[in-house]
Amino acid sequence: MKTADPFQTSNRVLVIGGGVGGIRTALDLAEAQKHVVLIDRANAIGGLMTLLDRTFPTNNCDLCTISPTLSESSRSQYIELMPLTQVTRLSGEEGNFSAQLTTAPRYIDLSRCTACGECHKQFPECVNFNPGLDHRAPTCMRYPQATPQAFSIDMSRCSDPKALADCCPAHAIILDDRQTQSEFQIGAVVMAPGASVFDPAAIDSFSYGRDPDVITSLEYERIMSASGPTQGRLMCPSDGRTPEKIAWIQCVGSRGMQKGAVSYCSGVCCMFALKEAIVTKERFQDSIEASIFYMDMRTFGKDYELYYERSRKDYGVRFVRSRPHSVFRKNGQGQLTVTFASEDSSTMNEETFDLVVLATGFQIGAETRQLAETLGITLNPHGFAQTGAFDPVATSRPGVYACGMFESPKDIPETMTQASAAACRASAHLPAPEALPESEDEQTSERDVTDEEPRIGVFICDCGESIGAVVHVPELAAFAAKLPGVALAESVGHGCSRESMSRIQEAIAEHKLNRVVIGGCSPRTHESRFQDVLQRAGLNKYLLEIANLRDQDAWVHLDHPDKANAKARQLIWSAVMSVKKAHALADNYLPINRDVLVVGGGVAGMTAALRLADQGFRVFLAERRSMLGGTANLVHRTLEGDDVQAFVSDLRQKVMSHLKIQVIFNAFIVDHSGMPGMYTTGMQVGPQMFYRQIRHGVTILATGALPRRPDGYLLGQHDAVMTQLDADALIDEAPEKIKAWDTVVMIQCVGSRQPDNPNCSRVCCQAAVKNALRILEQNPETRIFILYRDMRTYGFQEDYYLKAREKGVIFVRYEPASPPVVRAAANQIEVAFTDPVLGRSVMVTADALLLSTGFISDDESTEDLAMIFKIPRTSDGYFLEDHIKLRPVDFSKPGFYMAGTAHAPKNIRESIAQAEASAARAMTMLSRENINLGAATARVDSQKCAACLICVRACPFGVPFINADGYSEIDPAKCHGCGVCAAECPAKAIQLMQFEDDQILSKVSSLLERMVA
Amino acid sequence: MMEDFEPVIIAFCCHYCAYTAADMAGSQRRCYPANVRIIRVPCSGKVDVIHILKAFENGADGVYVAGCLEGDCHFKNGNIRAARRVAYARKLMESVGIEGERLEMVNLSAGMGDRFAEIAGRITEKIRKMGPNPIRNTIRPVA
Repeated sequence: MKTADPFQTSNRVLVIGGGVGGIRTALDLAEAQKHVVLIDRANAIGGLMTLLDRTFPTNNCDLCTISPTLSESSRSQYIELMPLTQVTRLSGEEGNFSAQLTTAPRYIDLSRCTACGECHKQFPECVNFNPGLDHRAPTCMRYPQATPQAFSIDMSRCSDPKALADCCPAHAIILDDRQTQSEFQIGAVVMAPGASVFDPAAIDSFSYGRDPDVITSLEYERIMSASGPTQGRLMCPSDGRTPEKIAWIQCVGSRGMQKGAVSYCSGVCCMFALKEAIVTKERFQDSIEASIFYMDMRTFGKDYELYYERSRKDYGVRFVRSRPHSVFRKNGQGQLTVTFASEDSSTMNEETFDLVVLATGFQIGAETRQLAETLGITLNPHGFAQTGAFDPVATSRPGVYACGMFESPKDIPETMTQASAAACRASAHLPAPEALPESEDEQTSERDVTDEEPRIGVFICDCGESIGAVVHVPELAAFAAKLPGVALAESVGHGCSRESMSRIQEAIAEHKLNRVVIGGCSPRTHESRFQDVLQRAGLNKYLLEIANLRDQDAWVHLDHPDKANAKARQLIWSAVMSVKKAHALADNYLPINRDVLVVGGGVAGMTAALRLADQGFRVFLAERRSMLGGTANLVHRTLEGDDVQAFVSDLRQKVMSHLKIQVIFNAFIVDHSGMPGMYTTGMQVGPQMFYRQIRHGVTILATGALPRRPDGYLLGQHDAVMTQLDADALIDEAPEKIKAWDTVVMIQCVGSRQPDNPNCSRVCCQAAVKNALRILEQNPETRIFILYRDMRTYGFQEDYYLKAREKGVIFVRYEPASPPVVRAAANQIEVAFTDPVLGRSVMVTADALLLSTGFISDDESTEDLAMIFKIPRTSDGYFLEDHIKLRPVDFSKPGFYMAGTAHAPKNIRESIAQAEASAARAMTMLSRENINLGAATARVDSQKCAACLICVRACPFGVPFINADGYSEIDPAKCHGCGVCAAECPAKAIQLMQFEDDQILSKVSSLLERMVA
Repeated sequence: MMEDFEPVIIAFCCHYCAYTAADMAGSQRRCYPANVRIIRVPCSGKVDVIHILKAFENGADGVYVAGCLEGDCHFKNGNIRAARRVAYARKLMESVGIEGERLEMVNLSAGMGDRFAEIAGRITEKIRKMGPNPIRNTIRPVA
């Protein structure tokens, strides 16, 4: 029943690049019911992140965190996924582009391929699971969870194509596959092509490429990875021994100097190396010595400083502040020699290591530059996308957006943030979604089977040879047919193929089946597909059980077919017994209120409000002061020289005059209640403190942080001492005063990276460099000293750091143990400090002392809001996101998002990106009629509940409470479905739907029954 | 007779880690003894003491609960609760004359297919050496 083809108009977004950034953009758009075409040059999506073993700072395994996202993206009905595809032309303009896409041949029919791996097995010399450490091709599935779950072939490398084609049991290999071209009408483009890794082979002195024990940090990830070439065993590639001493060398290919290196900072390599060092000690042997050679430790992200501290204190990672000169192997030696100069002397040191890991930086490759040319967008001098000063994801071509590494070097959380921001901006070019025709799935009404006797249909896949070669499928089907309650049992070949699915659907109707068992692969990957079949056939989707005959039987017991067959019978028997107990469940839905509450009227709050209002949502913007602008009101210029005040007043003007935005000044939040999509927040407003309630579906918290003004260094006591923010204003407002300064000293990390504010404030290094350059603009003769601990001018900020050094700014490092000493000397300031290079004390008399005081969380207001909204905070008073890596703008509480410095210190541009991201995330919820909360929630039987409070205490999320009737109540809208309460309840009054006790117990008993078969 | 003894082992596996690791062992074709039978749960914290005891009552020779690595639980601390319950169930088992070593808590992440196979092998061998669950004598086989 297709009415209008949605693809005929330009209501889609083209997303280029299927790494985590592109996937996030695509998912955000799809969840907001916008159509997406997601293309990638590679044969599967996933990008760089899928190569990592673990990610900082949680040291979690990556695949487990990203693979649900990957399969989510392949499933979504709004996303058309086109691997092996590139844009070859883009014409037209924003809102109405025409894109020509060219798809390379895969030589495999995806609808037939079952990812059985037979081609891989038979042509092992052609298979590449481990890019970087293993250069073999042509059939390539990079990682086990690849989406689409299929292989691809590089015909140019295949010696005997016919034999390869013949080995495929599914006949999925197409030898005469061809390149195809297609034309798409699209509204906007998001570029997320990522960056490539610097190849250190260009640097002669590091022996990379000549000595197997010198590897890149990405290759080291593959060595640690459980799915890597060594199956997660740590070893030296040269001879397989376990390394005892490992060195990491930072800034390889970044921050200048070496051949082929770039001048900017790659931003993530410090954390990358720290993580590898920690995981090495944590997972392998604590006795392994880990040394990191570095220039500045740039741990400027949220809580990253704590991670750095932990690596030193808890794990004993050694830090050597030096840039090694060379790595080589002396004749006949088992170990590698690293030569380096120490900071305090000019002598050259030598030390030996078993393994040397080069922390290689990122660059934009030729293919991506070509892509930029095809799309007609401007690149910056480093080859990255040129984006707006206060429009962080907008490229030079209207309607074309850039995010992730391609915009500038960045880590995963920032990539996720920008990706969501790009989704927000791109969706503005699409027409507002009309009410979509109900899909057929939803129109089919469900049959009530409550009173029916079980009539179970058992369908057993052979999955080609995957199951069929080990398990005798026809015999198994015959066995299943005799089980009590089974009305039909048959083998279905590839159960997930289109033909088999429609066969199952027909069989359900024909045999009046009311329960279904699939004997096939893992429910993890295929449950939702079979659930769809049930729904299409008019059965509730929860009347299904899957017996995992492939991944957990045939594949792992292929050495004992008899045992595999016996176990298969047991698994089918158990699935049949369990599905008998299954009953229809309804997903929990709640209707949504489409209004938005934004708390905080700084740049982040205003930006989020404006983006949402522009797309038609009504926004209440609550600001506790009587003026919009927040901390940005105090800033005049950015490091890049852009006029902040002009931008802020323009933004303020737009917000104040927007018909969809209601600004509420002097607003103090006092209470809050409700469920996702239907919240009510009370506030006291205005000088009279009138009480007012707002009803809203989502909430964005953008309450900011406070510029710090700590005591010490004579701040507030002497006119010549001021913060960088004060100086920034003074340079604009009273340049004649600045011109009179002969000598200026700046002290970094004042009030940051210390016990009462342990994290890095992120913005102060750039603020110091900015003010130094601006002072020199006024008076090029001024002598400027910047006393620092680590210069953290990440990304392209490094250019300005270099410029400041070229212009004569003197950077002197100090140790926190011996900070600079400051004394008043009439209207000047005497600053004494130790120069580590000269090795002696220096005294400077300065006309001005500028303190880089950074941020501190607005503890009082975040504490109040955390209590009122029931949302978590970090130990240092910032809001805590749901997942530090993958969900950096979402709270764990559904419908709550954060933006700006309330999340962590960041600069204006970064706050804007996060604000746009929060708007995109909010839109995913606001574009729905209802919110689906799934069916796996805990239910309390009030007859059995003794109100003992055990569930109240046990719930990890604080959901159960004792209601007015005196028994425990669990709000399905808040329940996460873990089942902890059900397991703890002494009266067994709580059941977790989908995993009820009788289902689990029938599995237990049926898996244990000794069958005579 | 002991050589012929094939123990039956129930593994309660968390959907987010151990169950995925078991699938991973499959895709890597890492073989392990067929004695291990897996029951999927949303979180190891869902595994009730009753489920464990019923398994032994029904004749399981060994049981293990496989949850996420500590600190990695999808539901914050379900795996820690599971470990506590396993310890408690062991005491109960001891008190009725079933060796507590027949029950174990293990932790692994979704990527550890190898580790899953290793654990399955190790526990099977251990139980094989211990011999049948003493309760078994009282159970009659069912057709």
